[in-house]
Amino acid sequence: MRKQTCNVLLVCGVISSITVFYLGLSTIECPTARSRAAQHGWAVNLQPSRNLSDPLQLPEEYNEETPLIFIGGVPRSGTTLMRAMLDAHPLVRCGEETRVIPRLLAMQATWSHSARERVRLDEAGVTDEVLDSAVRAFLLEIIVGHGEPAPRLCNKDPFALKSLTYLSKLFPKAKFILMLRDGRATVHSMISRKVTITGFDLTSYRDCLVKWNRAVEVMYDQCLAAADGNCLPVHYEQLVLHPERVMSKLLQFLDLPWDTAVLHHEQLIGKAGGKNNFVPIKSDPVKNFHSLFPFTFTAFPDNGSNMQVYVSLSRVELVLSM
Amino acid sequence: KMSKLLENVLSLYLTILTLFCLLSYSVVTVHSLLTHMVSIRARNWNQTQYRYNQNTPMVFVGGVPRSGTTLMRAMLDAHPDIRCGEETRVIPRILSLRQGWGRQTEERWALEDEGVSQEMLDAATRAFLLEVIARHGDPAPLLCNKDPFTLKSAVYLSHIFPNSKFLLMLRDGRASVHSMISRRVTIAGFNLSSYRDCLTKWSNAIEVMLSQCMAVGRSRCMTIRYEDLVLQPRATMRRVLRFLKSPWHEGVLHHEEAIGQPGGVSLSRSERSTDQVIKPVNLEALTRWVGHIPADVQQDMENIAPMLRKLGYNPKANPPDYGQPDPEVINNTERVYLNTEYDIQTAFQFIQCSSRIRVASYSVIISSFPCLS
Repeated sequence: MRKQTCNVLLVCGVISSITVFYLGLSTIECPTARSRAAQHGWAVNLQPSRNLSDPLQLPEEYNEETPLIFIGGVPRSGTTLMRAMLDAHPLVRCGEETRVIPRLLAMQATWSHSARERVRLDEAGVTDEVLDSAVRAFLLEIIVGHGEPAPRLCNKDPFALKSLTYLSKLFPKAKFILMLRDGRATVHSMISRKVTITGFDLTSYRDCLVKWNRAVEVMYDQCLAAADGNCLPVHYEQLVLHPERVMSKLLQFLDLPWDTAVLHHEQLIGKAGGKNNFVPIKSDPVKNFHSLFPFTFTAFPDNGSNMQVYVSLSRVELVLSM
Repeated sequence: KMSKLLENVLSLYLTILTLFCLLSYSVVTVHSLLTHMVSIRARNWNQTQYRYNQNTPMVFVGGVPRSGTTLMRAMLDAHPDIRCGEETRVIPRILSLRQGWGRQTEERWALEDEGVSQEMLDAATRAFLLEVIARHGDPAPLLCNKDPFTLKSAVYLSHIFPNSKFLLMLRDGRASVHSMISRRVTIAGFNLSSYRDCLTKWSNAIEVMLSQCMAVGRSRCMTIRYEDLVLQPRATMRRVLRFLKSPWHEGVLHHEEAIGQPGGVSLSRSERSTDQVIKPVNLEALTRWVGHIPADVQQDMENIAPMLRKLGYNPKANPPDYGQPDPEVINNTERVYLNTEYDIQTAFQFIQCSSRIRVASYSVIISSFPCLS
């Protein structure tokens, strides 16, 4: 009888130890989990105050003073390449496209372009100031919560730069990178790879080129007009032809120290936080697509030269680039 | 003796382990709760600081438009502890955008692929809503928001704001529809040239809102009949304030005296109910619809708007007996009908000329009053 109870107790003890071990593991995982890493300007601050003079330290709060980096341009202009190379920098975290940010910005743009709506909103107490702080809160929650914390947070949503001026009003210390590319290459890429983009009719080169022109004009004008020169246009062709020169100028523009990792982002496959592991392959893209999708990925500029892009990429971006 | 000691030691060890398991579990959950608070500090004319976050108690007032939602929020605004303010207009749009991202479609999978989880979208939506609700008016201990169609998302709101409560305004659909058609109040999805269409849409809309309200539960969502509110305001407001756990305040029955006052009722020039809400609670709009519904629609009423019967309004009666009015309300209605200058004056002397509070000029009386600086 006693031996039986002893055995039962031993078994219970083993089970509880396993549970404790498991819980202990999950508690360790918590602080680095992606969706829980966000801390905000107004949030209950759980961590002790840190010395902000060290650039490697994470910022204590995220608010309108946060020096965000926004990458954009017409899709198929090398935006993913740019953010992948920046992601390789130890101080920067971009992550994938959020998709929701351009939608909110587009909604805000419709409200502010209609004079009648502005009057109505104003009468309701929803002034520009109130709307700005609301949009800023939304953006910060998405950008900060979207991945691991980093000293410099970055966001890549191509069409977000259609609201470049507004973004620079929300975040005065933000820097913008506008990817530019030969429209013919961009349009050929979207048509040949059947990349659906709202407003672009993929059956007509003429239509796509007209739309490309309109879109890039809107973004380029705002980039040139950006206050304090906070927007840097980057030519995709220059980036792939002379990556070191372009990246060095870019990192200087972003007030970031040089790091050779940005030129060797192929070493950052399946970086911590990325869900998918990708193997780099230098070969014909068509062959790649047929034999290796969705487990491998390569991006090629349309002139056929081999150029590899890795780092953490989502399945959606994978499809878009195949 | 040794085995008994061993047993005791083992049982002690096990109890300690179980306690530790429970503690670590609670720590994990508490930790995840704390990391997502967004608090806003607002300073009012009193110089006190208010902090709001996702756990702040909040009230959402809604219903199909033209159901007395503005009257309810105006009466609540007259309470010193509650502030609703005008319709924000942007909140329903954000909510519908958010619902679009949550539906089980390709869009949602694409988002999750990109690392944009539903929790993150909730946090972002919550932050947006909090900023708008807290900043578009004066701060108050109990914040409130009135955007009629938000009650279509009552379940979602109850999830992202755990301490929120909901007030669903119900009204005889015929009265609501007559109001929107006769006053030409454009509402998305309602064809103002057809009573039939509007009544159908009304029935669909109120059905959705009622089911959301019931899903939220009686402890957090309360339905108020407009007819009860205007016929017996004292009893109805007592119920409402008890539901909101706020102390009774006589001022809620005289909201017209609090218009334009600090801590009182703030009105928007562009809102379509403003010219009605400046008057004291009265019975003018109760049965105005009688005789205006086309005969064929009246015949078919049961089929066009099945929610009428479900809500307790007899579709065959024109009008049904809504109840007995309080003497206070009869008094108010008489004053309003007689248009005695005293009453309009009482309301108007508090209306300032700031663009937020100036009243839409519908009648000659309104425009003949000079603005105070």
